[in-house]
Amino acid sequence: METSIQTGEEDRILRTWTPLILRTILILSSVILVVGVAQTIVKAPGFYVQRFRAIQQGHLHAGESLATLAAGIRHGDSHAITTIGLYVLTLVPLVRVAFTFILFLKERDFVYVTATAYVLAGLIAGMMLGRIG
Amino acid sequence: MLTILGGLLALSIGAGFIGALSGLGGGVFIVPGLVVLAHIPMHVAVGASLISVVATSAGASVAFVRDGWTNLRVAIILECATVTGAVTGAYMAGVISPPVLELLFALMMLQSAWFAMTRHGDEILAQSDELCERLRLGGQVPDDDGTMRPYGVVNLRGGAALMVIAGVMSGLLGVGAGAVKVAAMDYLMKLPLKVSSATSNFMIGVTAGAGALVFLARGDIAASVAAPVALGVTAGALAGSRVLPHVNVGALRILFVIILVLIALEMGWRAYSRI
Repeated sequence: METSIQTGEEDRILRTWTPLILRTILILSSVILVVGVAQTIVKAPGFYVQRFRAIQQGHLHAGESLATLAAGIRHGDSHAITTIGLYVLTLVPLVRVAFTFILFLKERDFVYVTATAYVLAGLIAGMMLGRIG
Repeated sequence: MLTILGGLLALSIGAGFIGALSGLGGGVFIVPGLVVLAHIPMHVAVGASLISVVATSAGASVAFVRDGWTNLRVAIILECATVTGAVTGAYMAGVISPPVLELLFALMMLQSAWFAMTRHGDEILAQSDELCERLRLGGQVPDDDGTMRPYGVVNLRGGAALMVIAGVMSGLLGVGAGAVKVAAMDYLMKLPLKVSSATSNFMIGVTAGAGALVFLARGDIAASVAAPVALGVTAGALAGSRVLPHVNVGALRILFVIILVLIALEMGWRAYSRI
């Protein structure tokens, strides 16, 4: 009985907060992406065409560090703004899983603490694996 | 510049719209669209698609989670399998040659076409098996008269095994692999049809997110392509989900299958001629 009360409360919190997390990050990233794309149209149309043609040839200019991107944003660089928008978008799964991990930890539901910790570790391992190449 | 950007946006909106109507997701349509029509290299198209899949999954999941259709516990347990597969697949995408990736993509499209043709009705179980009972995976769905009806879940191991494959497909090919996820939950784990669709949609965000993080960290996401694609596919998927209740999806299914088979043949032929 205790378990079902705990399950019901966990589910209620998850169903209330998860949509809020998803929607907030999605809206935030969409706004940043729209600003970045709009600024590209206004400020750097020629640069965009040049970069697009290079991508078609298989030449990527990605892989900037967060420090470089932050400096780019300070200077109003549209490419840096757009890239940060993409980074924010990829926070959706990370934040959502981190939230469930904290919730289950708080409720001492250790089967699900282990499951969410594994997923979180997988997401972080993916980033590290990408960095290695 | 406006021609390129307008073209990418139109392509992405169309892919998101058809993806939402067919229930297969935008990734299945945007990757071949970018490769065949926009002449974007396969791995760049896969990276852009993964980002867009994260966005559409988040957008579509909001209502499903709030209304109780998503089985969050099933999703959390199965995500262990999909994330493992997705990270492996995304890593493999960096070492497999583009023609082989395109050939695999063509095969995946044929599997999606088969899935769209063969998906059948509900078989709701009253009782979960021992493992699923211990993990409290069962749930409730509203009946035709609005009363809540409990359902059971079985065969978690079989479902998880298929989820690893779905994860590899997602990370490798830039799709949500919803067709495999729903098949695993429908056929093997016996979840109700709408619950498996909603749960698959929810899980797709984490699966694609795992792949997207590998691509992003590796520097394989081209912001100039990924940004308009993410915005376009999300807008198209939103429009598609609004139109969905007012169209006869059964009648459109044949059209979707024909489109899938034609694109699969085109991509398969392109790949075969370069291997």
